[in-house]
Amino acid sequence: MVARRENKLAKVRSGVMYVVCTVFTMFIIAILAAVTWYLVSIGTSSLSWVFFSQSPSGDVNHPGGMLHAIVGTLIMLAIAAAIGVPAGILSGVYLSEYSGDGKLLSAVRFTADVLTGLPSIVVGIVGYELLVRPAGNYSGYAGAIALAFIMIPIVARTTEEMLKLVPHSYREGSLGLGATKSQTIFRVVLPAATGSVVTGVMLALARVAGETAPLLFTALGSRLLTLNPNEPFPSLTLQIYAYATGPYPEQKKLAWAGMLVLIAMLFVLNLTIRFVTNRSIRQNVA
Amino acid sequence: MRETGIHQSASASAGELPGLGGAGGGAGRQNPRARSAGVWPKRMDTMLTIACRSAGAMILLMLVAPLAVLLWQAMPAVRAYGLSFLVSSQWRANEIEQPKRAADGSVLIVDGEVVMEIIEPVFGAAPVIYGTIVSSAIALVFAVPLSFGAALFIVRVAPRLKIGGVVSFIIEFLAAIPSLAYGIWGLFVLAPFLRDHIEPNLARLLGDVPFLKWLFVQQIQIGGSLVERTLPFTGRDMLCGGLILGIMILPIITAVSRDVLKNVPRAQIEGTLALGATWWQSCWEMLRYGRAGLFGAVTLGLARAAGETMAVTMVIGNSNQIVASPFAPAQTMASLLANEFAEAGSELHRASLLYVALILMVMSLVFNVIARRLVVGGSSKSAGAH
Repeated sequence: MVARRENKLAKVRSGVMYVVCTVFTMFIIAILAAVTWYLVSIGTSSLSWVFFSQSPSGDVNHPGGMLHAIVGTLIMLAIAAAIGVPAGILSGVYLSEYSGDGKLLSAVRFTADVLTGLPSIVVGIVGYELLVRPAGNYSGYAGAIALAFIMIPIVARTTEEMLKLVPHSYREGSLGLGATKSQTIFRVVLPAATGSVVTGVMLALARVAGETAPLLFTALGSRLLTLNPNEPFPSLTLQIYAYATGPYPEQKKLAWAGMLVLIAMLFVLNLTIRFVTNRSIRQNVA
Repeated sequence: MRETGIHQSASASAGELPGLGGAGGGAGRQNPRARSAGVWPKRMDTMLTIACRSAGAMILLMLVAPLAVLLWQAMPAVRAYGLSFLVSSQWRANEIEQPKRAADGSVLIVDGEVVMEIIEPVFGAAPVIYGTIVSSAIALVFAVPLSFGAALFIVRVAPRLKIGGVVSFIIEFLAAIPSLAYGIWGLFVLAPFLRDHIEPNLARLLGDVPFLKWLFVQQIQIGGSLVERTLPFTGRDMLCGGLILGIMILPIITAVSRDVLKNVPRAQIEGTLALGATWWQSCWEMLRYGRAGLFGAVTLGLARAAGETMAVTMVIGNSNQIVASPFAPAQTMASLLANEFAEAGSELHRASLLYVALILMVMSLVFNVIARRLVVGGSSKSAGAH
């Protein structure tokens, strides 16, 4: 009797928990839906051609657009990628292909892992202390280097993982044919993993494109359209932050629109990543 | 853990190959054809080795240099306050001029004039450490049950309904949204909602419960005496900050615990089901089996929450005071840095902020190290059981 009652209780509890898990999942999806709904509905209402074609006007009731910030973000991302991608890929190659280095190698891998979890505001402050204070001015270069700092560990770790997926027989075959180590890496290992390494790079770009905190004290932000990274530099995220926390309603609307544009950019990047990943997987299968 | 397995097998077989596992310069040394090809001279190998090793060294430097810089620049504050910085609850960046008081609390008047005294700025990290701990705790209380529930759903329910991929994609997309977007949403949607609907109703419901009064009052110093006053609800408070953090760490905890649960060997689940366990009993067994990894997932979430900056800065209210109520504005370490670093006037103010940054960095390193150990250790156990 007791056993049966306990059995029934367990079944009821099981059913309840099943429903709870389902409801929790729905709740998470509902949160996402709420966030995106507000972004899209408020964002689109204040999105116009002016947003993409003009820089801030100085008039708070007709604040102009965010051309300067979009240009600034793209330039900084380009510089960050130019620094971060080669450094990250080289580190990834080191982590994957120099396994003879033993303890040092594990230390580097561990450090890279830990660095991916570093609070981005700390990166901004260190960037200020190391780049802005000695140079004497805020600059787009400092901002880009701070972004590269965040990119490098991510690119390194994903590159490593992707290179490790290249079958070992490829390397053995190449070496067996008399190729040197660098030939093997540049002509066999890296080409075999190109698709997935590109994915890692784009993931890192997507991550830093949305960063604000590292730029607060390095790029500083600006309301002018500028192509010279050696001065305070505009960025989409910094401009959104300034508008969102400011007092003017028209600027707040612009902040929503900017956020929508930024997320749309990230979404396109994500879709591209998926496309590239699928293609590289298809290539590997073929 | 699968990844470490691959690594180990890779390095094991690399060891057997001449050249590949070694210093890198030796492959093909004895091969005349490689030399005669001449396009890729051996120097190329050496250069690549140097480049790769320096890239590796740079990664180490990227950890050491920030620590060194922060410690060096924080020295004035470290010298001034030492470790008592961690427990001192005053953070006042500007000097205050106020009437001097005698021992009995009355205002001192000499020759018919009030004697003024100047209180120097003081810096103590206790309010922001408190803010960081409490907001992260609220975030975990909110996010952990939801994430574990969703992870179980993805692993145990979704595959049967063939929606596992969709749910995973949605949750990963939640992770791809920049923290600034959550900040804007929190500032313009969540905070007004809390202010207008949740907090006044809670106050009406619970305000008269004797032991819950601390939730809705704040003690402030007026003159020499402590006065209790009702908290004005702004929506931009500790609760809002904690909730936004909770939403932001949902994806990472869900994704990591999903992977941990997926790594639980099938035999483990099938065994419990064969013994007549209910759905929940076998889920519970999964959770128990992966507890180390799940704890790692929570720690990763905690590390993310403690270091998160922009969203929190926008919704937490930015007040450097310790107030017990979650409905009062607060400040975390990261939001303090974001708010005050650009305007730090005095040397001591700047050094104190860098001291806070150092604490934040060390704390996040500790959390990350623990988390990685646990996630790696937990799933290696399950991989070994296969």
